[in-house]
Amino acid sequence: MVMRVMRKALRYLLLLAVLALTIGPFLWQLSTSFKGTTEDIYTSPPRLLPRHPTLHNYTAVADIIPVWHYALNSLKVALASVVTNLAGASMAGYALARLRFRGRRVAMLAFLLALLVPLESIVIAQFTMMRELGINNTLTAVVLPGAVGSLNVLLMRNAFAALPMEVEEAAVIDGANAWQRFARIALPSVRGTLAVVAIFAFMGAWDDFLWPLIVLSDSDHFTLTVGLNFLHGTFQQNPRLVAAGTVIAVAPLVVLFACLQRYFFRGVGEGAVKS
Amino acid sequence: MPLPRRATLLPAILLALTLTAACGSGGGDDGGGSAEGRATGGISFQTWNLRANFKEFFEGLIRDFRQRNPEVKVKWLDQPADNYADKLSADAAAGTLPDVVNVSPDLAYPLAKAGLLMNLDQEPAAARFKGEYTAESWQGNTLPGLRGCYAFPWYLNTGPLFYNKRLFKESGLDPQRPPRSYAELFTMADTMARRSGGKVATLGGIPSIEDFGRYGVPLMNADATAFTYNEAKGVELVARYQELYRSGGLDPQALTNTPDKVGQRFLEQKVAMNPGSAHDLANFRKNAPSLYRNLGITDAPNNNGKPNMYVMGLAVNAHSGHKAAAVAFAHFITDRGNQEAFAHRVAVFPSTKGSLEDPYWTKDDGTDEGRVRVASARMLKGAVNYTPVVMSDEMKTILRNEIAKALQGEKSPRQALDDAVERSNKLLKRG
Repeated sequence: MVMRVMRKALRYLLLLAVLALTIGPFLWQLSTSFKGTTEDIYTSPPRLLPRHPTLHNYTAVADIIPVWHYALNSLKVALASVVTNLAGASMAGYALARLRFRGRRVAMLAFLLALLVPLESIVIAQFTMMRELGINNTLTAVVLPGAVGSLNVLLMRNAFAALPMEVEEAAVIDGANAWQRFARIALPSVRGTLAVVAIFAFMGAWDDFLWPLIVLSDSDHFTLTVGLNFLHGTFQQNPRLVAAGTVIAVAPLVVLFACLQRYFFRGVGEGAVKS
Repeated sequence: MPLPRRATLLPAILLALTLTAACGSGGGDDGGGSAEGRATGGISFQTWNLRANFKEFFEGLIRDFRQRNPEVKVKWLDQPADNYADKLSADAAAGTLPDVVNVSPDLAYPLAKAGLLMNLDQEPAAARFKGEYTAESWQGNTLPGLRGCYAFPWYLNTGPLFYNKRLFKESGLDPQRPPRSYAELFTMADTMARRSGGKVATLGGIPSIEDFGRYGVPLMNADATAFTYNEAKGVELVARYQELYRSGGLDPQALTNTPDKVGQRFLEQKVAMNPGSAHDLANFRKNAPSLYRNLGITDAPNNNGKPNMYVMGLAVNAHSGHKAAAVAFAHFITDRGNQEAFAHRVAVFPSTKGSLEDPYWTKDDGTDEGRVRVASARMLKGAVNYTPVVMSDEMKTILRNEIAKALQGEKSPRQALDDAVERSNKLLKRG
């Protein structure tokens, strides 16, 4: 009995330790963003509760940069990326999983190899390409390279491949063509994976920094992550502003995840539950 | 997502630059537009993270310029703080580098080497302004091995040594008598470590290349083709730091501390001294009010009478379509009146001749800001930018790692510096 309680206590202690490790830094940022200008930020040990809590830092962020304008740009980019990824990755994934065509294996391999290419190594080539297309310094150019992520295509392919073949065979006998099978049968069965793809696409587009920085030159078009970087002062730092900016940037992701988490966990386990 | 540092992109950038340079020479024409003649046409002007705090100031400058040169249109771009080098190289590769670009000498070097920046010394329309700037700042923007100055000198910065009077008092040192030379600094660090039982460190970071320069170590040979900081004086500096590290005079986290982190340790009041810049004062007041009440300010020690300074410049794109306008604008932003106006707004220093003899920079007005300003302005006379422009981030990391090995006792100071120099020189030849 005592052993069992002890074991349980130990388990919870470990969980708490991991929790502190993962969300500790974020909590520190959150508390810094509420600290007034009269208190020390860097104390050791760190103090989590602000002595003079204030919302001033958040209004100051909006004074320094057009934060709503940048957030709108980010939202446009992120939503466009969600739509293109959902449409593109599900169609490509379905084709790879269900359709028979010449070069299917090569196509599969191409998507796998694409996973291995780091953005940093191709960023200049991508930029030159956007310039040739005449769309550098537009939000379209921000979305385009990530419009259909290869990881998402592979995720969708695996989800479709895990569906029982028999259902589709029955549909073929009933006279359904590929489009009808895709839209009416396959898509509704992989909702969980679609949610995963949506979250990945949104997060990827929302958090990206290097690519939008390189491709955009006019600060009117900047996305939130790039725009918030202006808070790092050239001559002096105000960590409270940076912290407030970080919180503004992260909040939509937390909300999105909270809304979609039901689907998310179903999607992560989707491949496994099918018999 | 961890942001990639400058070093990761460098090979790709150099390759891309070589490619564009090759294409460019095939085209023959270098972009058109003569630097002589009347200033006309549309130009773009790029600053590095200045819009957030100085929007009105720069918009005002551009308006003034337009009034004098109605035929020029100026488009102002501002880039955020991080990854500026990446942004510049991408623009350089794609041929979209703005006409007037805010650069520091180390950022200018790869661009100038690829033939993308105008050599001001060899362009009569630009060289005629040379006399308006201090010799030190023109020299600071002159790139070794490339025969010329590649940017109009803009704002300068330097700073005093800040120290924590409370920590001085607690270890029985006189808070009114800060160290004046490196020898005194090291002796005090020893005392402080002994009296506090190793709890209070005097310095927070391992020596950087600027510290070697201030200590009087020759950093490179004359044509910047080989590093030389492994000579006797350099070895002596590392040996002193090794003693400090053992006695606790150097922060135990020093080996991994970045300059930002060192500043933070000073704010936490775990480290008693920190060489800083003139803007730090506002930072202390805002982020560590209790430290600010005990803040001491003194000249940064140096062994050769030449303090360190950082220089910023405005370079002109060598392929600009409107060179005359670009040169006129770059000169206008960096002329005496406008530089002084900018330096009144933020704690930086003008690089124009005679500016620092103005009472604003010579007469202490009794405030802490005034004291720091006057002390820093005094240091700028004869100051040099110690950081060699050819020293890449990778080479700085090599130096840092080798010094860390020496402090931990894995290598002798001499061996560590020899190794760092050898590896850096290899990189230098390859680049």
